[in-house]
Amino acid sequence: MKVKRRVATEALRTLQVGPATIRYPFEKVAVPEGFRGRITVDSEHCIGCSKCAIVCATFCITMVPDEREVETAGGKTITRKKRPEVRLFDCIRCGLCEDACPTDPKAIYLSTKFAGSSASREEVVR
Amino acid sequence: MAEIMIPIGPQHPALKEPVNFKVFAEGEIITRLELDLSYNHRGIEKAAESRDFTRVVPLLERICGICSHSHTTNFVKGVEEAMGVTPPPRAQYIRTLIAELERLHSHMLWLGVGGHEIGFNTLLMWTWRDREDIQDTLEEMTGNRVNYGTNKVGGVRRDLTQDQIDRAHKRFDTLEERFQGYAEMATQNPTIRERFQGVGKLTREQALALGTVGPTARASGVDSDIRRDDPYCAYPDVKFQVVTEESGDVFGRTLVRVREMMESLKICRQLLADLPEGPIAAKAPRTAPKADVISRYEAPRGELVHTILTDGSDHVARLDIRTPTLANWTSVAASLPGAHLADIPVVVAAIDPCLSCTSRVTVVDIHGRKPASYSWDELRAWGIDRHAGRRRRS
Amino acid sequence: MDALSTLFYALVFPGFLFLASLALLFQYVDRKVVARVQGRIGPPLLQPLADFVKLLGKEVISPEGSDSRVLSAAPLVALAAVFAAFLLMPVLGPSPLGFTGDLPVALYLLTLPTVIMLVVGFASKSAYTSLGGARAVTLLFIYEVPFYLALLAPAIAAGSWSMGAIVEWQSANGLLVLSQPLALAVALVGLQAKLERAPFDIAEAETELIAGPWTELTGRRLAVMRLSFDAALVAGCVLVALLFLGGGALPGDPHPYWLVAVAVVLLKAFLVALVLIVVRAAFGRLRVDQFSSFGWRVLAPAAVLQVFVVLVTVGGGWP
Repeated sequence: MKVKRRVATEALRTLQVGPATIRYPFEKVAVPEGFRGRITVDSEHCIGCSKCAIVCATFCITMVPDEREVETAGGKTITRKKRPEVRLFDCIRCGLCEDACPTDPKAIYLSTKFAGSSASREEVVR
Repeated sequence: MAEIMIPIGPQHPALKEPVNFKVFAEGEIITRLELDLSYNHRGIEKAAESRDFTRVVPLLERICGICSHSHTTNFVKGVEEAMGVTPPPRAQYIRTLIAELERLHSHMLWLGVGGHEIGFNTLLMWTWRDREDIQDTLEEMTGNRVNYGTNKVGGVRRDLTQDQIDRAHKRFDTLEERFQGYAEMATQNPTIRERFQGVGKLTREQALALGTVGPTARASGVDSDIRRDDPYCAYPDVKFQVVTEESGDVFGRTLVRVREMMESLKICRQLLADLPEGPIAAKAPRTAPKADVISRYEAPRGELVHTILTDGSDHVARLDIRTPTLANWTSVAASLPGAHLADIPVVVAAIDPCLSCTSRVTVVDIHGRKPASYSWDELRAWGIDRHAGRRRRS
Repeated sequence: MDALSTLFYALVFPGFLFLASLALLFQYVDRKVVARVQGRIGPPLLQPLADFVKLLGKEVISPEGSDSRVLSAAPLVALAAVFAAFLLMPVLGPSPLGFTGDLPVALYLLTLPTVIMLVVGFASKSAYTSLGGARAVTLLFIYEVPFYLALLAPAIAAGSWSMGAIVEWQSANGLLVLSQPLALAVALVGLQAKLERAPFDIAEAETELIAGPWTELTGRRLAVMRLSFDAALVAGCVLVALLFLGGGALPGDPHPYWLVAVAVVLLKAFLVALVLIVVRAAFGRLRVDQFSSFGWRVLAPAAVLQVFVVLVTVGGGWP
């Protein structure tokens, strides 16, 4: 019967190729560049313009006071007054903040980190 | 045998999302059913009114995971029309490519779910395994497997690299071969034929009268596809067939979706081959002038309609979303009485329901047996009344 | 056989403990093979045991209005029936508990789990379970007669109702799978339906009736019921291996050493089980009316035809 052959051939092929399961965490998956991972703030480059907090879709970015000397892309050195703090559990990874950030390289961006768990609260919530 | 009431839902293994069918059956034959939707109502239309055009796009994306690109593209092209902005051709092509990839992965998902509903879990596992290829392509191009974040008013947010295009082409070749295999398997396996043929029959007249859209209608011989009839994005530039069937049953819908997958693959290949150079977004103004736009889109499930009222500010004044699943529910209610109990999951799955999209409020008066709908003011009055009553009682 | 060794035979080997372990092993093989065919990894070897132990520890919930004593007793009755049937089977060589006429008794005992399903279905007072129980019995009426007929054919050919005698007869006259392939086919289909496996898992249709009669079984009751159905799978496969594949006998040796006999029977039963497992992976589920039409149009005529052929070749009647 033709259909039996179809299902049978597919079954044999699957048995030959092996399971499609990726045995995470023993096998790792290659994450493509541009993957929308965890939001990361690069304090070295942030100029404190608050554009990210304004555009955030879920209002999860608050600007906290943090003074620091920062060198802008133009070569000038300015004193920035605040930087963003992201509530990671509210972030939906839309990337609007990354689009709005005027610095180069971006001071707030989506990294390729996807593992969300950690033993320390600091790593996860900030 | 006496009439018994079997609750299908709101939690039930056949349903991926909550919906409530109260099925009245005598033995195995269904006599009537009562439909209760709106378990997934989240107030999105109202929430959209308080967000500006940049912020509202991620909100609309998350109406549904599988049709997320449909909602954003439809909305964004409506707003662009209101503003008088034309996205550049490269942006249109990328939008269309992601749209067709979404259609592909949605139909693959449906094929697996259809198999699962009749207990054929092997088909589910196999189709979803190969669907991973499409998901990987989407992940490389947009950064996410669902909720792609591609659209913004004026164009798209990310460009495609040559590397991604080459990898996509290679995957398409594998996928084409696998699709042929699944087409044969799905249409010739004896249990699938037994369970799908003759089930959930909808004639062409019924489909037109009930307002059915998408593959459900096309399987009943209704030759309608927004991509061809009211083209948008890059569809005027691509050649494809609109797939129809005459049988009107679940098997017909299977055939339509499987052939649509092949057509989508053809469209994707054409788009990648002819991808124009240029910018990926046009500068859009912050506010939109006063306008009343109806934006239509052929989502994987059928015709999606957004009615967008803008009033010169930087957000919509009113957004109304009519999803294809909402239009297709009446066909389920019409084709189930007289069918077997065992056909319920099959017929429900055959319209490819996306309940997260569906929940807009309709009132069915089960005592008066008359469907009615409330206007905005009536609803508001009713809500205030109800909560005032609650406070009085507590 | 004295009382102590009978007790050992019934409770340890090849009785209760042995059969329970086999049941868990066969469940493992079932799930593993299906998983691999589907492109998944499948559970580890001890998973069925882990599931059983875990279920024993879960809370038992009886729906309002249901008869909780019936719901607790029913799975135990099903388990007892399947084990009793297995004890009658000549696994090590002739069974010490076997007797002339033990084949019909074993078949009746193996029918009990399905009837228990009906009882549980109605005792659970739920729309899903009553429908499921009703379906289970509807199916029973359809497949049971052809199944019995298909197992009657070897009995006619061997001229005896005793399973041990049928096995002996095959050593002298050739395996019955070769002379009665139609009976084997019908028996396999009937067995698949009896065990409620796809494409015949209509009573417990997950996407229609949640779990049919199984819906309201929880905790210990579910553990015991599942064990009885797994044991029924083993018993059914062993039964087919005995009646059609020659049981514990080897080509040159009709009465091998008991250890060898056990291994041979189990191997043959395992092959039968593999067929059932692969069929389960390859098909969806039928509807009740479709199964009914299949049963009356295909299954019953095939069984009747086979019995007729055997009667004619044997020369009319048995002692």
